Amino acid sequence: MKKIFLWLALCPGLYAVALAQTPKKAAPAATASPTAQGRIKFTEYDLPNGLHVILHQDNTTPLVAVTVMYHVGSKNEQPNRTGFAHFFEHLLFEGSDNIKRGEYMKLVKGNGGQLNANTSQDRTFYYEVMPANKLELGLYLESERQLHAKIDQTGVNTQREVVKEEKRQRYDNQPYGTIILEVLKRAYKTHPYRWAPIGSLDDLNAASIDEFRQFYTDFYVPNNAILSIAGDIDVEQSKALVSKYFAEIPRGTKPVYRPTIKEPAQTTEVRDIVYDNITLPAVVQAYHIPAQGTPDYYAIDVLQTLLAGGESSRFNKEIVDKQQKAVATAAVPFGLEDPGLFLTYGIANQGVEADDLEASINTEIDRVKKDLVTDVEFQKVKNQIETNFVNQNARIFGIAENLANYKMYYGDANLINTELDRYNKVTKEDLRRVANQYLTKDNRVVLYYLPKAMEGKTDTGKGK
Amino acid sequence: MTSKNILLTASLIGLSIGSHAQTLDRSKLPTDAPAPQIKIGKPVTFSLPNGLKVFVVENHKLPRVAFNLVLDREPILEGDKAGYVDMAGQLMRSGTKTRTKEQLDEAVDFIGANLSTSPTGAYGLALTKHTPKLLSLMADVILNPSFPQAELDKIKKQTKSGLASQKDNPNAIVSKVSNVLMFGKNHPYGEQTTEATVDRVTVADCRNYYKTYFRPNIGYLAVVGDITPAEAKTQIEKALGSWQRGDVPKPTYAVPTPPAKTKIAIVDRPASVQSVINIVYPVQLKPYSSETILASVTNDILGGGEARLFNNLREKHGYTYGAYSNLSGDRLAGRFRASASVRTAVTDSAVAEFMNELKAIGNGRVTADELKQTKNGLSGSFVFALEDPQTIANFAINTARYNLPGDFFANYLKSIDATTDADVETVAKKFVKPENAYIVVVGKASEFADKLKKYGDIEYYDTDGNKMDAPTAAKAVPAGLTAEQVIDNYIKAIGGKEAVSKIEDVSMTMSTEVQGQALQITRKQKAPNRFSMAINAMGMEVMKQTSDGTKVAQSGMQGSKTIEGQEAKASILTGSLFPELHFAENGVKSTLAGTEKVAGKDAYKIVHTTGDGITWSDFYDVTTGLKAQTIITQKAPTGDVTVTVMYSDYQDANGVKFPRTLNQNLGPVQMALKVDQLDVNKGLKDSDF
Repeated sequence: MKKIFLWLALCPGLYAVALAQTPKKAAPAATASPTAQGRIKFTEYDLPNGLHVILHQDNTTPLVAVTVMYHVGSKNEQPNRTGFAHFFEHLLFEGSDNIKRGEYMKLVKGNGGQLNANTSQDRTFYYEVMPANKLELGLYLESERQLHAKIDQTGVNTQREVVKEEKRQRYDNQPYGTIILEVLKRAYKTHPYRWAPIGSLDDLNAASIDEFRQFYTDFYVPNNAILSIAGDIDVEQSKALVSKYFAEIPRGTKPVYRPTIKEPAQTTEVRDIVYDNITLPAVVQAYHIPAQGTPDYYAIDVLQTLLAGGESSRFNKEIVDKQQKAVATAAVPFGLEDPGLFLTYGIANQGVEADDLEASINTEIDRVKKDLVTDVEFQKVKNQIETNFVNQNARIFGIAENLANYKMYYGDANLINTELDRYNKVTKEDLRRVANQYLTKDNRVVLYYLPKAMEGKTDTGKGK
Repeated sequence: MTSKNILLTASLIGLSIGSHAQTLDRSKLPTDAPAPQIKIGKPVTFSLPNGLKVFVVENHKLPRVAFNLVLDREPILEGDKAGYVDMAGQLMRSGTKTRTKEQLDEAVDFIGANLSTSPTGAYGLALTKHTPKLLSLMADVILNPSFPQAELDKIKKQTKSGLASQKDNPNAIVSKVSNVLMFGKNHPYGEQTTEATVDRVTVADCRNYYKTYFRPNIGYLAVVGDITPAEAKTQIEKALGSWQRGDVPKPTYAVPTPPAKTKIAIVDRPASVQSVINIVYPVQLKPYSSETILASVTNDILGGGEARLFNNLREKHGYTYGAYSNLSGDRLAGRFRASASVRTAVTDSAVAEFMNELKAIGNGRVTADELKQTKNGLSGSFVFALEDPQTIANFAINTARYNLPGDFFANYLKSIDATTDADVETVAKKFVKPENAYIVVVGKASEFADKLKKYGDIEYYDTDGNKMDAPTAAKAVPAGLTAEQVIDNYIKAIGGKEAVSKIEDVSMTMSTEVQGQALQITRKQKAPNRFSMAINAMGMEVMKQTSDGTKVAQSGMQGSKTIEGQEAKASILTGSLFPELHFAENGVKSTLAGTEKVAGKDAYKIVHTTGDGITWSDFYDVTTGLKAQTIITQKAPTGDVTVTVMYSDYQDANGVKFPRTLNQNLGPVQMALKVDQLDVNKGLKDSDF
């Protein structure tokens, strides 16, 4: 993604700093070449308390990534208590029985390390990357978080304010920032994917401290977590240290709640307009697709690269460069544990109507439904996918996360080495087939994002 | 007997194991293991018959290979064509004898690779299976560059627009002048690229540079990744074996010396509201020595992230957003630099605190806490950098280039860890020299020059580092002259009240370039107070402001908003047509605040204020009466933003003179706005705004 900073200073008293940012292109699909097979070696085992441990030894760089992935995301929340999993991503940095408030981050930074966390619909991921001789500190910190994190009213109040600001900054105050939220609530009627991880501030406000404590007891247990460590470690010594810090953490006492709700198939197109603080209209399409890891999901992922991967992709070459109908386009396979969505979107160029832009997007989608890609283009797309995949594993942090993801989602950490086979099975014909099967009118949600000024006086309508 | 057995038993009988396991004292933080050794694959080295030295770091973790070519040559004195060396490096990637730039780009993209060139090397990265193709493309740019004239023209244009924006950028000025002072204009580190030197650069210069310096016998090629030394050898011999060796000149230069006693160098920039302070001098510090490591620890305690300078100048005194220092080694000439941007009024106080800290670091021991934090921070960032394969490549090459012990980098963390407070004191005494420095200040000299005298003799420089006379003070305001008279004179100067009052509306289009990006600005004004302005870039509107005289509507890529009240009033008061005509009804009070230089000419400074706290200044030329400059400071989320606009090139339209060139800054960015078209009385309607 390219950032264009335009610093604009204007006539007396008038100035503006405009930041034009091409929206994030979709993360490239993951594949690996035959030569990448079996490169990443790892050891895995369970502690008696159910904690799954993955160790990847790479002594190239004296760094270690200590990461814990919890199998809890927004889909494990109750409809009237949304935003919990993400809220915990903040709360669990507040400290523990032994780590004072505010000390957690200081300890990591003062020891030359970095830390962060992220939450999706399906899981939450916490990590520290540190110089290798601080492995034990990393384990201590993560075990403190799992054993007896500090969950009190002060922390809840503090973090609620932080999350409020985060929601403002990332969603409400961000042009087009609500796209995912608006799409999800229209695409899903019954499945918990209908709310996004950020959830509802009202729910967070309404929740009692006991409810937060219960959520912690229910989900942040060793039998619902993967401890994935990568870097300059000694495997045997690491096993001993893992045991030292994690063995005493008690297993959760009841089964972890996993929703079994099936979203019924969508039968007719959903079409709507969202008025936002924007100047340029945007067109968003979201098509229901199978769950990640299914054969068709891989085909859709390859299709994504064909349509929107890089400067020479079809969307970019046709709609942005040639027709100049959009300033930016993207396609994102929103792969999730349960059936997800394939999103395409474009931000219209000045003076281009939303339906005009949508027509161009549809033309490109119709093209993949009708014509097979050429061998040369297919090869280029595969090369792109492959290069990006390899580069994803360039850092030990990425390896730790990928190993944990593959294990948690597919029960097979070794997909880090073999997932390529799944991509390689995708044929040119598959691309055409999945386009015809999933990228259909009845199977999609279409949103027009229009400037607030157009509210009430639009006859561009919702398109046709 | 082991805890393992207990765990096993516990899990077998399905009990929670917590109470049975060994008790761990969790109130204590774990102790660190010893600082790790860096394990870098030992490079296999070989040389081609043409002298190219190759270092293969075999690492099969990822199926990719990086090639990093570094040419080890002495710095070059470019003389009256300064800038050509960089251009030559860029031009090599812009076409070969058999490929246009587009064809090169396409070929590189198809294999998902990276390929770049510089005056002292080339870099390529690709998956293993594309390595032969990448290497052939890399060899093509190294062996067969075609130096297309059209591509050079593009590069020259970019270089010149870069230079133009530097002229008014105080940070660029301070570093230019610092370099001239430390090294002299006849030194590779002190000479300056200017528009004139860029104009003189030809394709032949670039080709000559290439022919002279792009020689394998001064080359180090690091090959890092999924390749065996044997494969690397075969491929490289094939790709670069025909590269011809050549005699590469080895110019020598005088060793720069710090001044015998501290000097003050001022670049007068009357429009500045901040002073950029750099305290600089050359040092004799060789790169990659044990002394360099001690120097980096010392410098980090003095002027690293949140270190002494930061804590003093920002946290304690609030003079600046940040204050830092840098102490770097170099084979030819190293340098020390301490720097901050401070508000004009505290320029001398800030210099005083800089000098205090520079003296203190070599005068007593640093605390154990400072030392520990610095060591951890430096170790951490060193290790993080190592994950980049380019860093590993650089280590291999630098070990050879600088004749370092084979374990220099492997022991880096140990050396950091072994540094004592006594080491820091010794190194600080040797390298931190507040008594032998150039204190370079770019700012509004009249506000601080006198107060800096106590730190050394003062000399003045222009923005290119040429010594000049001290600026003469602007002449005093004649007795009895009032702000109202100055404003009346201005109205007379542009054409008189009658002609001015006949101007109902003005439409103009302006163009400029910011960071290589062409912008078009359309501005419309209608008496008394309506205006609009739209900025277009790349054919799209990136920002628009419209005012109906009471509020200002703003829209852009970041969303839309409407400004009302005081913020709007400030915009309206300065953005509308001939605001001077409407001062009375808007309650604007104007005071004549003296004379100042604007673009070297005396101008009367008038400070305008409204009852509700809006204030800005206009400067009217003493001789012509025309408005020469406006300075307004506005609140922004990131702090106050000062906008300075200078007006020049007044030309007549309908009997009224309008400026046709506006020079404007915002923060670090400087723009010259050229009026391309100006129309008067087109009959704009209120509804147009």
